[in-house]
Amino acid sequence: MQLSVNGKSYTVDAGQDRMLLWVLRDELGLTGAKFGCGIGQCGSCTVLIDGQPARSCLTPLSTVAGKAIRTLEGLAQTAADGSVKLHPVQQAFMDEQVHQCGYCQGGQMLTAAALLAVNPKPTEAEIVAAMDGIYCRCGTYVRIKAAVGKAAEIMAQEGAK
Amino acid sequence: MSNKAISEQPKRRRISRRQFLIAAGGVGAALAVGVPMVGVPFARLKLAQFIENTGGPPGGFKAPPMAWFEISPDNRVRVFIPKVEMGQGIHTALAQIAAEELDVRWEQIEVRQAATGQNLDDPVGTSASNSITSLYAILRQVGATVRAMLLAEAARQTGRPLADLTTRDGVVLAAGPALSLTYGEIVSKAQGWKLPDPLPKLKPDSELRTIGQPLPRVDLRAKVLGQAVFGIDVRLPGMAHGAVAHPPTLEGKLKRAGPGQARTLPGVIAVVIEDDFAGVVAERRDQAYAALAALELEWEPGRAWQQAELEALVTVGRGNGVTIQDEGDAGAALKAGGVNRQPITAEYRTPFAYQAHLEPQTAVADVRADGVTVYASTQAAVRVRGHVAKALGRDEKDVVVQPAFLGGGFGHKVLTTAAVEAARLSKAAGRPVQIVWNRADDFTQGFLRPMTHHVLAGTVGADGRIAAMEHRQASGAVALPFLPAIAGAVLGSDFGAWRGAMIPYNVADKRTVAWVAKLPVPTGWWRGLGLLANAFALESFMDELAYAAKLDPLEFRLRNAPAGPLGERMRAALNAAAKASGWGSAPPAGRARGIACTADVGTVVAAVAEVAVEAGQIRVHRMTAAVDAGRIINPDGATAQVQGNIIMGLSSALVEEATVKDGSLAALNFGAYRILTMAAAPQTEVILLDGGPEPRGMGEPPIAPIAPAVANAVYALTGQRLRRLPLRVG
Repeated sequence: MQLSVNGKSYTVDAGQDRMLLWVLRDELGLTGAKFGCGIGQCGSCTVLIDGQPARSCLTPLSTVAGKAIRTLEGLAQTAADGSVKLHPVQQAFMDEQVHQCGYCQGGQMLTAAALLAVNPKPTEAEIVAAMDGIYCRCGTYVRIKAAVGKAAEIMAQEGAK
Repeated sequence: MSNKAISEQPKRRRISRRQFLIAAGGVGAALAVGVPMVGVPFARLKLAQFIENTGGPPGGFKAPPMAWFEISPDNRVRVFIPKVEMGQGIHTALAQIAAEELDVRWEQIEVRQAATGQNLDDPVGTSASNSITSLYAILRQVGATVRAMLLAEAARQTGRPLADLTTRDGVVLAAGPALSLTYGEIVSKAQGWKLPDPLPKLKPDSELRTIGQPLPRVDLRAKVLGQAVFGIDVRLPGMAHGAVAHPPTLEGKLKRAGPGQARTLPGVIAVVIEDDFAGVVAERRDQAYAALAALELEWEPGRAWQQAELEALVTVGRGNGVTIQDEGDAGAALKAGGVNRQPITAEYRTPFAYQAHLEPQTAVADVRADGVTVYASTQAAVRVRGHVAKALGRDEKDVVVQPAFLGGGFGHKVLTTAAVEAARLSKAAGRPVQIVWNRADDFTQGFLRPMTHHVLAGTVGADGRIAAMEHRQASGAVALPFLPAIAGAVLGSDFGAWRGAMIPYNVADKRTVAWVAKLPVPTGWWRGLGLLANAFALESFMDELAYAAKLDPLEFRLRNAPAGPLGERMRAALNAAAKASGWGSAPPAGRARGIACTADVGTVVAAVAEVAVEAGQIRVHRMTAAVDAGRIINPDGATAQVQGNIIMGLSSALVEEATVKDGSLAALNFGAYRILTMAAAPQTEVILLDGGPEPRGMGEPPIAPIAPAVANAVYALTGQRLRRLPLRVG
């Protein structure tokens, strides 16, 4: 079947009941989505499917045919000359030095990007509501909240330009 | 210098010239130029450091000498770091220390994770908050020494007097006639290196410009872009996936194993059944797990342990207690009584807890005739090497372990099981094999933070000073499972279990006694070891004594702080946390504050919690922590460690608890095992205190006062003294 990931089309020879997470990681070499629990509880495996955060460990391939999948590797934009422009969320996570081990942060950043795409100026309560399901064992929650607010500012500034 | 000196044992925390050796590709003190690295001809500059007098971690770094730097002709500086990056920012902090004396621009620095066998073997591993404390002096001296050697070589190459030369940002400079040579240029033309005699002096504190700066994390961009390779992300050509059968019960033993239909399933490469080991190798991970499920396995389940039985085993007074602190005569003094005549006594309990790092145990092993390479998410690469070599019957010299980034560790990633499983399966399959444990394996096949029980007694004089105090505690083992079997008999007690158990306060008659409980649940390292449990009991009890003495809990601690520098530092931390948290002023309606103060591995932490009870649940609104960890290498990284410790401490205080049912651990995944999520994260303020010139531990100590500060705040708010973790209001 055809998979659309980060704007690229991949032909995948895999059973329809296989979970997207392992196809991304083991067939396509996209390891940005991580395995944490396998039951959709921790959020480390979060990817965007048609812009919506989804737990790829519980997403059968059959459900994503024809849909646009975005992983952490596809969050930044790479220009023709190879230069990389970080997504405002990535820039904000750098600015706030959010990551500790970083294992959960792909899920955190993708969820934040999805939130800001529909709600460019979220309140703290809205940030928490959107992101509470993504565990961080290192305890970076305070910085994540700050970084999502910062990303909203960056996006507002970029939009104003 | 001879190699003989290498085997000398550590004695003092001072580095002498004899500790350094230039070990280069050629004979004697020659420098090998042109060692290929990623297509770039790198000059390899090996600065060796003998283990004697290093102030290194217990046991020291073993010979042969360490190799810390590579300097490329284009003036990039690679620093090889033996400690692993698991979120604590250690690659950044250690590189800052190395860059300081070498006098290079931060942008020139590249950090590389050292593998085993690179002259940087670290038998201690990345643990116990010791990375900076053990390497601070070494890395400064290493940097200063290499800088001096570059200067000397520049003098030789240019014919200029050494006294005319100086360095700035990785360049050797001289005034009129002007000279500017990059380190890379000097290295490219170097003919030899001489160790300076005496070793160069270190910079005075006033000239430090890299140490103490909030520099950005060196690993962050790769992690932000999804390019960082964690252990689970390692991919080798031809790599297959393995899965190994694990007992479903605590005492489970494999009685019989057969391949069943496993060999006929798609993708299956090998089925390995040997003694008590049953595993499979397949092209894909899901195929490996399908094959594992198809094996015919018969288990001897062992005893159907229940939680209450285990709790009874972890009880003060059961078995032989060992007195680990004994000043004055606590027994007699407690009998004499205090202002309240009868001593106050209280019992506390803490539960089993999982480390619950999000990346499960994982490793890739590539077992070949010519050698074995293991890529692992490990805090203890040297330990992995030993265990893999033993399992394969190979010489340790044949095994190289390359740690990757860790998706959390918290003590649990000293476990070597996944690496050994990968190695056994790789040997059988003749291909590299990756093991990625599922969550149930990770929770049940490693080890847990043990349950603990604490009995405290104390009396307070009319002057508000503690007259006598006793802490008796029982715990499952923490350090002993990782030491030779004889250690238990020699030590009598478990230093990991009683970490943080001793009474730091100024009490004439005080005593701490520790019991180790033998449990069917495997227990061991967890962030701070026994620190969290012991601090919860001690600092909650301090609060009980304060109320008995009718003193403000802050005032009570200030009054009873120990004499000398530790007491000064505790008072400073307490006052700083109190001031920042608004201690003494009225909290917002419906809230109350609690305070706690701890000292661990030389680091003093005071914390204030501001809590409410909402819908029957404890809600922590605000946490303030003041930390004196000595010299801070990177204040932003240090702050992050405190913030993380606050969250992990709150998680233990409020939700975490692992239990046993019918002979097995009950929680086999998240959900059943709760950890704190963003919704429960409070507003936090972190104050880093000026703690003098020596750095101290930061990875674990700030977790200590969090739970008792919350419990004490709940008492102030509700009058309920909660003596059991996780805290639950009635």
